[in-house]
Amino acid sequence: MVLLIQGLVLGVLVGGMYALMASGLTLIFGVMRLINIAHAAIVIFSSYLSWTLLTSVGIDPLLSIGILAVVFFIGGALIQAGILSALVDKDLSLALLATLGIANVIEGTEGALWTSTFHQVNTSYTDITYHVGDIYIPLVMVITFAVSVVLLILLFGLLNYTRLGRAIRATTQNRSVAQLVGVNVSRITIIAFGIGVAVAATAGPLIGMYYPFYPNSHWGWIGKLMAIVVLGGLGSFRGAMLAALILGIAEQVTILYIPADWAAMVFFVFLFAVLIVRPQGFFGHVGRESL
Amino acid sequence: MTARRAVGLLWPLVPLAILIALPFNGLNDFYLDMFYFTFTYAAMSVGWNIIGGFTGYISLANLGFFGLGSYVAGLFLYYWGWPILLTAPLVGFICAALAAGLGWIALRTKGPSFVIVTLAFTFIAQMLALNLKGLTKGSAGLYLPLLTIDPSYRGDLFYYYMLGVLVLAVVVAIGIRRSRFGLGLIAIREDEGKAEGSGINTNLFKILAFMISIWFAGVAGAVHAQYLNYVDPDLAFELIIMLNMIVMALLGSRSSVWGPVLGAFILFPLQNFLVYWLPSTIAGQIHLALLGVVLILVARFMPEGLITTGANLLHRVRRPVVPEETAPAVAGGAPSETRRAS
Repeated sequence: MVLLIQGLVLGVLVGGMYALMASGLTLIFGVMRLINIAHAAIVIFSSYLSWTLLTSVGIDPLLSIGILAVVFFIGGALIQAGILSALVDKDLSLALLATLGIANVIEGTEGALWTSTFHQVNTSYTDITYHVGDIYIPLVMVITFAVSVVLLILLFGLLNYTRLGRAIRATTQNRSVAQLVGVNVSRITIIAFGIGVAVAATAGPLIGMYYPFYPNSHWGWIGKLMAIVVLGGLGSFRGAMLAALILGIAEQVTILYIPADWAAMVFFVFLFAVLIVRPQGFFGHVGRESL
Repeated sequence: MTARRAVGLLWPLVPLAILIALPFNGLNDFYLDMFYFTFTYAAMSVGWNIIGGFTGYISLANLGFFGLGSYVAGLFLYYWGWPILLTAPLVGFICAALAAGLGWIALRTKGPSFVIVTLAFTFIAQMLALNLKGLTKGSAGLYLPLLTIDPSYRGDLFYYYMLGVLVLAVVVAIGIRRSRFGLGLIAIREDEGKAEGSGINTNLFKILAFMISIWFAGVAGAVHAQYLNYVDPDLAFELIIMLNMIVMALLGSRSSVWGPVLGAFILFPLQNFLVYWLPSTIAGQIHLALLGVVLILVARFMPEGLITTGANLLHRVRRPVVPEETAPAVAGGAPSETRRAS
């Protein structure tokens, strides 16, 4: 029983972090029906940068979140404007392949700059663990969860209570109609991609404190993130939150009973089950993904 | 048969004859190895193009099936002593059968779920190879029995084997391209709804295209296990293999049978020299990043690939002045002509 509670607690904490990473992915999918294969690579790239900021300049990872978000927003907007915009309208599969290319450029660059060995963002508070009864709670996971929740609330507010957010949601629902009612769809897409990338960047320092990373560790993450956004319904923000929580808990509870090597299998089992039983996920719409 | 048509049909025999003759003049091991890899990549890329190019569904499972093919063939050899060069076609069929099941799940919805499922499959296959330690020895890898053959012929044997697989891939792709099946696949790429409306069983077509595509990945993986005499989860599922087969197809031209072959014959030798030339500590990383750059640049600036772009340029040069009135007819004729040329 204690084990199970332990799993639930860790699951919720991890789920918040998954939600942060998945929200950017589902936002990007929403506005242009593009699976950003480079999404987790961007997260890991941000982890590396926060490691460098910490070790060479001494900037705390929690502070570097803000810096990296701004830098990555600009970078993401430039990538969208320079590369992806032209491809999305012509042939979505080319845009998808371009994101695959971006993932590999990032991975190769990381390997060349930081070598292929493990890195971890180590702060003075990295190894602190609290004990509540028989349950242990790493401080870093609590911080990660709290920061994720704050960022997600900010993102939710942005999407639901601002003009920009309304334009993004309109673009998500229907690109051509949004264009008709006066939304500058290509500009909104550039901004939305920038936001998605910036959100990914905020996750980098956070996961870098708990999970060691190396150049190709993003492949492990992107598989999990894809399972989350499919379970939630591609393009759905609410769905991604719920799915992240469910899969975070499922993962943490499962690895109490089976070797952790198989943890990612939980995600793939859910992925296949969803696609067989309910391909549109929790909050997706039938046929919407074919637009 | 006019002379022109004969040339159009039979020209591949010339490069083929040259490739068959090459080893007789004593290619050294470096070049035998380079050609073996080029053929392997070309065959896999032609295979990938059947689903990724003709049908327009981006598959990321071909890497998973390459690795699975390596493992299935390796395990057959390791535990039962079945020679890989004989079982490779069978391994291809095992992979294709699995691909049918995967396709059934992934192709129920249109669009992005195929990409996601195929990528997930590659991860799952690698995870199984890594974690079913009792069977696969995990990350230590499987050391396979060596081929019982005079070592001086070993390079030639693999050279001709993969040349044969490549020829088969091209013949199959041409056959598909000229059949109603191939037309159906292209119709699916252009407009799946209309293709379905015109009576094409799109699900069956897509799954068949996927299976054929995967057969070549499985066979290439199987042969590669014997080539290295070794299988491990990192080598069998190396990302750069997937990247290569896609970049080669895209660079050469996705709408053409010969595109991936051209792409492979350009890109692999270049990479081979590049990796020898770069300092070994960062060669792998720079290699990966550069291939990513090539993928982005081709997708952004030459998505039609060398063959189609070249054919269009040639077309424009041959008919430089197009009167206004006849322009639509020419414009309408150009794409179909370039399609047929491929």
